[in-house]
Amino acid sequence: MPKDYLGRILYFLANHWESLLRGAGTTLLIAAVSTLIGCIIGFIVGIIQTIPVNKKDNPFKRFVLFVARGLLVIYVEVFRGTPMMVQAVFIYYGLLYAGIKMTWLFASFLIVSINTGAYMAETVRGGILSIDEGQTEGAKAIGMTHFQTMLYVVLPQALRNILPQIGNNLIINIKDTCVLSVIGVVELFFASKSIAGSYYVYFEPYTITMAMYLIMTVFFSRLLRWMEKRMDGPQSYDLATTDTLAHTSGLYNFPGKGRKK
Amino acid sequence: MSDTILEIRHLSKSFGANAVLRDIDFSVNKGDVICVIGASGSGKSTLLRCINMLETPSGGEILFHGKDITKERVNVPAYRAKVGMVFQSFNLFANMTALQNCMIGMTKVQKKDRKTAEKTARYYLDKVGMSPYIHAKPRQLSGGQKQRVAIARALAMEPEVLLFDEPTSALDPQMVGEVLSVMRNLAQEGLTMIIVTHEMAFARDVSSRVVFMHNGVICEEGPPQELFMNPKKQETKEFLARFLNG
Repeated sequence: MPKDYLGRILYFLANHWESLLRGAGTTLLIAAVSTLIGCIIGFIVGIIQTIPVNKKDNPFKRFVLFVARGLLVIYVEVFRGTPMMVQAVFIYYGLLYAGIKMTWLFASFLIVSINTGAYMAETVRGGILSIDEGQTEGAKAIGMTHFQTMLYVVLPQALRNILPQIGNNLIINIKDTCVLSVIGVVELFFASKSIAGSYYVYFEPYTITMAMYLIMTVFFSRLLRWMEKRMDGPQSYDLATTDTLAHTSGLYNFPGKGRKK
Repeated sequence: MSDTILEIRHLSKSFGANAVLRDIDFSVNKGDVICVIGASGSGKSTLLRCINMLETPSGGEILFHGKDITKERVNVPAYRAKVGMVFQSFNLFANMTALQNCMIGMTKVQKKDRKTAEKTARYYLDKVGMSPYIHAKPRQLSGGQKQRVAIARALAMEPEVLLFDEPTSALDPQMVGEVLSVMRNLAQEGLTMIIVTHEMAFARDVSSRVVFMHNGVICEEGPPQELFMNPKKQETKEFLARFLNG
C-alpha cells in the first residue's frame, strides 16, 4: 500500500476497479429504471388528478374518482413526507415479516420508483396546469375527447415543460440510491464503504467515489439537455415553395432569427 | 331555402349570480352569415361559447338539426366536430406544425387516413394562403398567419357551421385585413358562419343578418342595411353612434 495520496488512489483503482464499477452499474440501473417507472406512475397520478368532473357526470364516475383521488393524495403525502432510507427499511423488513422476501434488486426498484412517482405526480400535475387553457379549448373545438386532448395536445407539451424536472429526479436518484445500502444493496456507496472499511483508509476511496458520482450525474444532465433540444425541433423551417420572393410578413420576428439551424 | 341547422331557444347562462345571457332566441339556416355585434361584456362571446358547449348553458335549448345538445348523454365531442370554432387567441397546438394542426382532427376525430387528411389539409391551407408555411410551428408565425391556419384547421373538419369569436381582435390593422379577406371569401362560397366581431364595415358587407346584443339579451336583429342605416332601438343607435364617431 503506497503512502502518498495519488499512489493510494491508483492502488485502489488498480485493485478494486471491478467492484467499484459494478457498484456504479447497480446505481445507474436502479436510478434509470426507477426514474422511468416513477415517471409512468407520476403521469398516471397526475392525469387522474386533472380529469375534469362536472355535476352532469354520472354519480358512479364521480364516486370512483373521488375515492381514487383521496388514495392518491395519501400516497403522495406519505412518500414525499418520509425519508427514503426509512421507507427502505420499513418496506423491506415489513414485507419480510409478512413472509414476502423480495430480491434486493426488486426491492430497490419498488422503493425508488414509488418515491419518484410521488414527486413526479405533483410535477406532472403542475406541467398539465401550465398548458394554456386555449390549447384544450382548441382541441375540444375540433371534437377531441378529454382523453384525445390530453394524449395529443396537452401531455406532449407538458412533458417538454417538465423535462428539466425529470432530469432533476434522475440525478437525485443516482445520488440517493446510496441509502439503499441500509438494506444491503451493493451499489457504489456500499462498494466504497467496504473497500474503505477493509483498509481503514477513507479519504482516497471516497475521492474515487465522489468522482464517479459526479461523472454519472454530469453525463445525464448533458444527455437530458440534448433531449430537450431535440424535442424543441429545429429553430427554423423550410418554406414549402420554390418562389424565392415568398419570404414575406411574419418571418422577421420568429424567435430563431439569426441563429444557426 | 330555409334548411335550419341551429335553433336556440330561451338560452340563458349565468356565472354565479351574474346573468350573462338571458332568454336568447335565434336560429341559423344553411348559408347564413350572422354577425353578432355589441359592447364588450354584452355576452357575445359567451353566446358563441355556449353554442359550442365550451360553456354549459344554465337554461334553454340548443337544437342542432332538431336535437337538443344541452341534454345529458349527448355526445358533445361528436357535435363539436360538426361545428367549427375560431378563437380570438388562435389556440393553435403549439407542439405541431401548421400542417399537423390541420390534420390532427381529421386523423384522430374523423378517423380519416393520413393521405386523405394531408390532401384536405393542404387544400384548405392553400385556400387561406398559408401553403408556403405548412412546416412552420405556431411560434414561428405572425398573428395573422396563425389565425389563417386556425381557420384552415376549422375548415378542414368540413363543419356545417363555423363560429368566429372575435377573430381579428388580437391583430394589428394589416393582419386584420388578411384575415377578413379570407372570411369574405368563405362567406361568398356560402359557408354558414356566426361571427362575433367589432369590425362594423365587415359586418355590414358580409352578413346576411346582424344581431345586436346588449346586457345579455338580443336587443335588435335584422338585415345589415336596416340595422346599420335605420336602427330602431335607442341602444343600437347609441352603440353605432359611438362606433361611427370613433
